Amino acid sequence: MKTITFDQIKFSTIALEMDEIIPDTVYDWTEDDFAKYQVPIGNSRFPITDFFDITVEGEAESAAEVKMIFKGDLNRTKYIGSKMSAGEIYCYGNVDLHVGAEMSGGYIYVEGNAAAHAGREMSGGKLEITGNTKEFTGASYIGEWRGMSGGEIIVHGNAGKQCGECLVGGKIRVKGDCDILAGIHMTKGLIEIDGNVNRWPGGQMKNGNIVVHGHLGRLLEGFVLQGVVVDPVVDGEQFEGKYIHYVGDIGLNGKGSLYLGAETNREKLGEYGEHDDEYTSIREYRNLE
Amino acid sequence: MTYEPPITDYDHIVENCTCAFCGCNCDDLDYLVKDGHVVAVRHACRLGASKIMEDMDQRLLVPMIRDEDGELKEVDWDTALDTAAEYIANSIRPVFYGWSETSTECMKEGVELGEYIGAVLDNQATICHGPSLQAVQNAGYPIQTLGEVQNRADMCVYSGSNAMNSHPRHMARYAVFCRGYFRQRGRFDRTVVTMDPKFSDTAKMSDKWIGFEQNGDYGFYNAIRAVLKGKELYQDVISGIPKEDIYELAEEMKNAEFGVLFFGLGLTHTLGKQRNIDIAIKMVQDLNKFSKWGLTPMRGHFNVNGFNIFMAFHTGFAFGVDFCRGYARYMMGETNTIDLLVRKEPDCFMVIAADPGAHFPNGANQHLADIPVIQIDIHWGPSTELADVVLPGSFIAVECGGTSYRMDGVPIWMKKAIDKPETCRDDEWIVRELKERVMKLREEPNVLDAYEVNPNIL
Repeated sequence: MKTITFDQIKFSTIALEMDEIIPDTVYDWTEDDFAKYQVPIGNSRFPITDFFDITVEGEAESAAEVKMIFKGDLNRTKYIGSKMSAGEIYCYGNVDLHVGAEMSGGYIYVEGNAAAHAGREMSGGKLEITGNTKEFTGASYIGEWRGMSGGEIIVHGNAGKQCGECLVGGKIRVKGDCDILAGIHMTKGLIEIDGNVNRWPGGQMKNGNIVVHGHLGRLLEGFVLQGVVVDPVVDGEQFEGKYIHYVGDIGLNGKGSLYLGAETNREKLGEYGEHDDEYTSIREYRNLE
Repeated sequence: MTYEPPITDYDHIVENCTCAFCGCNCDDLDYLVKDGHVVAVRHACRLGASKIMEDMDQRLLVPMIRDEDGELKEVDWDTALDTAAEYIANSIRPVFYGWSETSTECMKEGVELGEYIGAVLDNQATICHGPSLQAVQNAGYPIQTLGEVQNRADMCVYSGSNAMNSHPRHMARYAVFCRGYFRQRGRFDRTVVTMDPKFSDTAKMSDKWIGFEQNGDYGFYNAIRAVLKGKELYQDVISGIPKEDIYELAEEMKNAEFGVLFFGLGLTHTLGKQRNIDIAIKMVQDLNKFSKWGLTPMRGHFNVNGFNIFMAFHTGFAFGVDFCRGYARYMMGETNTIDLLVRKEPDCFMVIAADPGAHFPNGANQHLADIPVIQIDIHWGPSTELADVVLPGSFIAVECGGTSYRMDGVPIWMKKAIDKPETCRDDEWIVRELKERVMKLREEPNVLDAYEVNPNIL
């Protein structure tokens, strides 16, 4: 196992782009190699050792045997773990844009907040963020219709707007609240939100699943109520309790599923009549009190 | 309103000039010229006429450099251009912002300079119709020309746009009141709908006002789409609008022979941003299954669309194009001017034909006060107070010719009507001079110091 530690010694207001420093490329680098490397900053390149004190311990035969540790204020360090396929990256401090973008394997741990586009278009691996994320977590590049396609993102805090935009696979779990339009245009995969959602989850979704345990502020008209379901199995995962099940977005003839925690969203059942088949009767559910 | 007698004291008339105010680019103006100045404008709206006539008010006439005492001092052109070129050549995160009130020919020089130095090129779309351009990249662009609207449209919908105030001749010349080949009775042959939380002046002129609640745009459009797909609405009121009104509106839109959706910043900058436009485009696509529909963004500056079309043609991205790694890239929140300034990244800022000092948020302007700012403009404004080098340009469509793109993407040649002040230069010439001087100072496109690339780098 090789451990590479980046201790920040100087903060640059112009962002450092770290897309070339991933386990796949540096698994056989020595401290001398890092001393020769120049990191892109703006339209120029500067020695990375001007900004980080880098120590290398151990040996590695492949990227999977590399553990990278970043310490310091990483608010201007972009593309950490971008396009990595194996290995581990640990960041102690808030990180800048595109952490874990297009990663296909490995593990990234961020102790702090992440800026926008975390896990953009990732296809594998795991990204764990202990704080909050800004907009477009697990989303797509602008103009692209395919966002995150595999792997897992866990956000222990809150997630910003359009989390899981154009999701085509994988799982995003937000343990806090989520802003508007989570899972917009998604076609596959699972978004699980423990907290509350502002409004409009699943706008123009074609398929896939969104589970909201907390309260939803406003639901789109494009979702058709199916009924109340008990202990649903969604994407191979069982969720305990009662959930209101919607299908949409009908504007796209979508068949995506939106599950809202029944207890926290009870008022949404106000105007509906009887439902049966595999669902619990809504009238019966109202009388469950 | 006081009576203004017609201007009769003029030397000659320059006919068929093009207005350099809003995205309508009205090309039927007549300039009345006396002693080398435009003293009156025929056919223009008040906004356009006042801009064209008051060209000498607070006019920048000579190049200036800010001295050590913080005062702008007049200098010769060579000194000003050399100083500006030095700022650009020595920067590692330059941003060139503006371009919407200059010619497309000038943009060509700007892109060459930006690509060479590795700069970010951005225009006013970053604070206006940027979300529209992002949505267009995602969802396509069912567009029609304003000529088609004039001759064919029998239903015009203004969403989040107050055309009566922002584009005064839009309704008169292109969309509502004008007569067309298939709309011989003008206004009487057209249905006008305004969707806006405010009962605006445009709403007053409309047959129907849909006053949905603020930030309710996305939910409202989603409901229309659901109705177009034949779905029953389950809520009685959606985004503040009774569902019966939505059924009625959807039916009217389906039955139109040729409908157009004009949208403004009321749609692009409410909650949902580019996704509001995204769903509006999708709604228009749905409507095309029943009838012929198109949509057009109500662009503000006369050539803001030109920059976006030009950049999309050259680089694949409409605005906020970052060349710092030697190739074009764009990412919202990362390569847009406001984001860069608020993050305090730029170390040199060139503003051409724009006024960030007046329009940018405080945080962005604070950073502008800390870095070298080069201004190319014709009038003194808040940005001049932030500028370290001031290069006086010339007024496109009045003092020099150039190409502009109308809001519907139609290119229009804007001809010269009068001579520019002797001490001023054309924008195109200034940017070309800067480019040549920067190339002399910085012989290689990027400052890539000698460095052995590790063969393991993918």
